[in-house]
Amino acid sequence: MTPDPAAEVALPVIGSPARKRSLRGGGPLSGDDFLELAGFTDASSSSPGTMRPGALRGSARGRDLDSLAHTLFLRIYPVIAIVVLATQVGIAWVNYNDSLRLYTERAHLLVTLTAQAIARPDWSERPDVYTTQVQALTLDPAFRFVRAWNAEGGLVMSIGEMPVRRSIELIRASAAITLAGQAKPVGSLTLGLSTESLRANAEKQALLAVGASLVLMLAFVLTLHANVRKHVLAPLKRLLLAMREVEHKRWSTVAFDGAIRASNEIDVISSAFNRMVEGLRAGDEAKQLLAELELAHAKLAEANRQVMESIGYARRIQTSVLPDRMALASAGLDVAVLWEPLHQVGGDYFWLERLGDVSLILVADCTGHGVPGAFITLIVATALDRVLHERGLRSPAEILAALDEMVRVQLRQDGRGSDSDDGLDCGLCIWDPEAGRLTFAGAGLSLTSVTDTGVTRIRGAKRGLGYPRHGSERFSVGNVTLDVTPGDTFYLMTDGITDQMGMPGTQRRLLGHRGVADILLRTRKEELGLQIETLEAELAAYRGAETRRDDMTLVAFRPTQRV
Amino acid sequence: MDRIQIPATPRSPEVDFDFTAGRFRLSGESYPEDAAAFFGPLLQSLRTHLAASGSDPIVFEVALVYFNSSSAKALMNLFMRLEDAAGDGRRVTIRWLHAEGDETIAEAGEDFASDFSHARFDLVETSQTGD
Repeated sequence: MTPDPAAEVALPVIGSPARKRSLRGGGPLSGDDFLELAGFTDASSSSPGTMRPGALRGSARGRDLDSLAHTLFLRIYPVIAIVVLATQVGIAWVNYNDSLRLYTERAHLLVTLTAQAIARPDWSERPDVYTTQVQALTLDPAFRFVRAWNAEGGLVMSIGEMPVRRSIELIRASAAITLAGQAKPVGSLTLGLSTESLRANAEKQALLAVGASLVLMLAFVLTLHANVRKHVLAPLKRLLLAMREVEHKRWSTVAFDGAIRASNEIDVISSAFNRMVEGLRAGDEAKQLLAELELAHAKLAEANRQVMESIGYARRIQTSVLPDRMALASAGLDVAVLWEPLHQVGGDYFWLERLGDVSLILVADCTGHGVPGAFITLIVATALDRVLHERGLRSPAEILAALDEMVRVQLRQDGRGSDSDDGLDCGLCIWDPEAGRLTFAGAGLSLTSVTDTGVTRIRGAKRGLGYPRHGSERFSVGNVTLDVTPGDTFYLMTDGITDQMGMPGTQRRLLGHRGVADILLRTRKEELGLQIETLEAELAAYRGAETRRDDMTLVAFRPTQRV
Repeated sequence: MDRIQIPATPRSPEVDFDFTAGRFRLSGESYPEDAAAFFGPLLQSLRTHLAASGSDPIVFEVALVYFNSSSAKALMNLFMRLEDAAGDGRRVTIRWLHAEGDETIAEAGEDFASDFSHARFDLVETSQTGD
């Protein structure tokens, strides 16, 4: 409500005496009052979720709907009133004149007939001749007076009172009393008839005309008003209310029940309005959903950023656990490494170390990738360190067996109840440069050698290390010892290298060991680092649009000299 | 038992376990984030079926083009139940499908085959397009 304290701004109350309720002005309240009464005020438009004041507000509030009714009444009423009145007056006027003419003719007829009836040479001397005749004239209902004069102008007979002045309410008719054959009249007769009844009639008619006009007006006004109210104003008010609602983002549509029947035009407008509201509602909902989506997306992006930061940090830790790739440079071995986790960190692990006279090369593929895989690699790294430095083992097969045992203890897979179903594939070589001999043992991982005679794949034990096992079953595998010719190259690789999905022919299939071996054989003359780069490029080419499936690790080593 | 049909996703295979017909099939690729969660219910339903269905013959078809080591472990668990059932006298056939030239899947099949002594294990090379 307007916070105007002025007293004359009366609170809009239905039936307030301040409101003029003329015939035309009565009826519905003005638009503003109506809306305010209905509880819709504009004062608190700053409440959240409302639109900025706009064009809609002006149209919904500023206009007084009654002005439409006023305009109709003011423009049409006078026209009809004037037309009806003029018609009635015209008819009355014509009637009056007709009657007047008839009266005049009657007066002349009567006076002429009487004059002829009493026309005798000596009529004025004989009352028996004229008295009856002249008296008969008084029988006319409009009779006012009659005068008879003889030839000399003497008054012979007079009935009624002759007014001195002429009056419009009186018709005079005179006739000369003439004898046949005589030019000179023997007297004259004057009759006066009253037109009072005529005037009374005309007045009655005029009153009737005005009355009829008023009744007609009233009927017209009432009918028009009722119709305009029912078919135009009330529906428009509904529309306005709905618009106000929509302005405040309350999606209300308009429906007309029995009491209110909108005119066709307003019905069409209402339907269009309803469709618009539905559209706005849908748009608003979509906007809200989009906003929610954007919020969720922002949260996800933030969460992802945090996770990626965390994993980036984890990668620094994991890479610092991995050995220096030049660790065996002084041991007469060319070494090239490809270590590429699928997700920053991974379950692939490799180790290079000089152990006195011999060198160790180890590649492990722990279950899982990403962070879970990386956890296992840390366990393996710790276990390996203990196996090599506390227990001093140097035989690949023994090292694998020891690793198996330690990992299972560490993960409580030795019957002490654990959820862990994890383990690792592992292949390791001990290079003895003195003897020019390479010893290999593998668990689920093989050694690939490329020599002048071709590619050989030496498979390790089928099963990996770790994993819960029944009873006191122990891991057991034998060593494979190879005599190395300078130039022979050896590769330890995880299955992430060979499991490249691609479409070499008509069927999608994995590249496999053979595919990798073919690449290695084809590029065997290349310097090791370069060969690995070529391999990586060829793997990517084979995958094409396919994504990588797993962490990839390959350690290539080539004895450079025979000591 | 109701038939289990799970459509393939990029990381998990299509599953069709038709218990009534005794036909089971896995096809596509298998490297779900949590292999235990994916295969656990399948293993459970296979066990229930084997325990309940007497000695109706079973054909278990695997047409995977890639599976990771966790999936291999899950397959091993499934195969162990089948081998046990075959040991109990049920006619069990495992059909291991691999694309022509796909030695990785073929080798994996050979590895699995060596674990079976009662069930029949067929290595089937497919040359047509598709799986």
